[in-house]
Amino acid sequence: MITEMTRVMRILATVAIVACVPAAADAQVWLGKTKPRPGSVEISGGGTWTGGQSLPKSAATLTANPSGGLSSFEQFTSEPSMDPAFGVQGALAVYVTRAIAIEGGVRFSRPQLKVGLANDVEGAPDITASTTMSSYLFTGSLVYNVGAQGRTVPFIAAGAGHLRDVHTGNELVETGTEYHGKAGVKMWFGRTRQVGLRVEGGVSVRDGGFSYEDDRRFVPTAAASLVYLY
Amino acid sequence: MKRSAALCLTLMCVALSSDPASAYLKLGTQVDRGTVTLRWEEFPVRYFITNAAGGGVSATQLRDAVVSAFSRWDAVETAETTSEFVGFTGARPNDDDGLTVIGFENRPDQDRTLGATSFLIDTLTGEIVEAEIYLNSAFQWSVAANGQAERFDVESIALHEIGHLLGLGHSALGETELRNGGRRVIAAESVMFPVAFSAGSTAGRTLKTDDIAGISDTYPNPTYRRERGSVSGSVTKSGRGVLGAHVVAFNPRTGRLVGGFSLNADGRFVIGGLEPGPHVLRVEPLDDGDVESFFDLTLNIDANFRAKFHDRLVVVPRGGGASDIEIRVEPK
Repeated sequence: MITEMTRVMRILATVAIVACVPAAADAQVWLGKTKPRPGSVEISGGGTWTGGQSLPKSAATLTANPSGGLSSFEQFTSEPSMDPAFGVQGALAVYVTRAIAIEGGVRFSRPQLKVGLANDVEGAPDITASTTMSSYLFTGSLVYNVGAQGRTVPFIAAGAGHLRDVHTGNELVETGTEYHGKAGVKMWFGRTRQVGLRVEGGVSVRDGGFSYEDDRRFVPTAAASLVYLY
Repeated sequence: MKRSAALCLTLMCVALSSDPASAYLKLGTQVDRGTVTLRWEEFPVRYFITNAAGGGVSATQLRDAVVSAFSRWDAVETAETTSEFVGFTGARPNDDDGLTVIGFENRPDQDRTLGATSFLIDTLTGEIVEAEIYLNSAFQWSVAANGQAERFDVESIALHEIGHLLGLGHSALGETELRNGGRRVIAAESVMFPVAFSAGSTAGRTLKTDDIAGISDTYPNPTYRRERGSVSGSVTKSGRGVLGAHVVAFNPRTGRLVGGFSLNADGRFVIGGLEPGPHVLRVEPLDDGDVESFFDLTLNIDANFRAKFHDRLVVVPRGGGASDIEIRVEPK
């Protein structure tokens, strides 16, 4: 553990030095020829979209009196859903080769939980009850950049994360594990190619956190970020 | 120590309290400092079976069914109750003899009562000292595994009465219809619903989430305190509290239902024993049972309002409570 920490510190120190030198030396240099290289750092930040969850309509069911001929009795119907949510994300990647980077990131969004309620036996008016929670996702990924020297760089990434869903008022925290795979493209601007736009889409597989179901679930994700390469 | 004998359970609900009871309708008694919940302080609950047959069922068959019913309550993972069958006795239920006795009584005058529970309590502390259950042998009974046509299931009714014996009142989680001058249950989701399923049914042998919440709230164990939560708030109409409103918490993740009541003039309610997570709250007037099955008739129970869902999902914390919820209802 100590060895790993030392290694990380050494990489970051190297990055800091490298980051300062070229900027001071010559802003006209086309970084694409020399970067990214092992030790290069890429910082990104932007907006995200996370898919929602919609379950089939179910019911608040009472046990029916067998003599009535009913197998079950529905007091009202319920249709739970979680809205797709826009949020923000930030990430920091360190290149270990010219094509491969290790990336850590965090995503934040505030999805709205809803339950549509209808068909009440006592005539309660139909309504959609709702609440909002805060969802945090801390991730680590391995990123492979395809043709890392070009202006347009496709990439694929895979990794795992820790999910932390906090309900309104912090009354309840539900945590879980997340695995993801994603693909996208980085489009570098200008001659220096230090700044770019990163667009990506992927699938997040989640165990735990808030869900209306206990099963593992697949959540589509998308994001667009500004990228800065040191 | 002042004691009173043979309290009628339906007249001693905690609705008399100025402070709402936590979850469920529990039995209580008034003391100088307010109301205390009726509960056993010493376990196991030691009981005898009257050595007499009734309604087509022998004393041995009755014992087996009662032992099974007690074991269902004792098996609740979030509650701490234990029981012990001591033996057969010549004593009958309702004898004031210091024994807890369960048996048949021929009560043809009680032509709508399948069974009843009475208590001897310490009126200073609410401790149950002795309790009696009788099953009315004016009806025909069955202990068959899958029930028997035209006969009521001993274990189902014993399970309900033992719930009273342990201190639980009635639940209103059910729907009824008026038929032939009485109420017929259409459906229920609690063993403690006051109207039994029809003869031949054994559906009442299974404790529901509502029952488990009730017994766990009365006799909580560390798991219950750590893993369950509550919601509390008030039901109001035109700015004033509604007494006796039936409030139900529905978990959209599991489909489970737990009920409670607003129990004071401010319309305050508490529902405990809930799983952590978002819940739907629904409030309805108490119209699926006779009011006296739940509350003292001297109380001014308000049933003049329309059923309603609360417009917010209420998140139940683990080991804590979501509070200050106000559900505003409209007059009919």
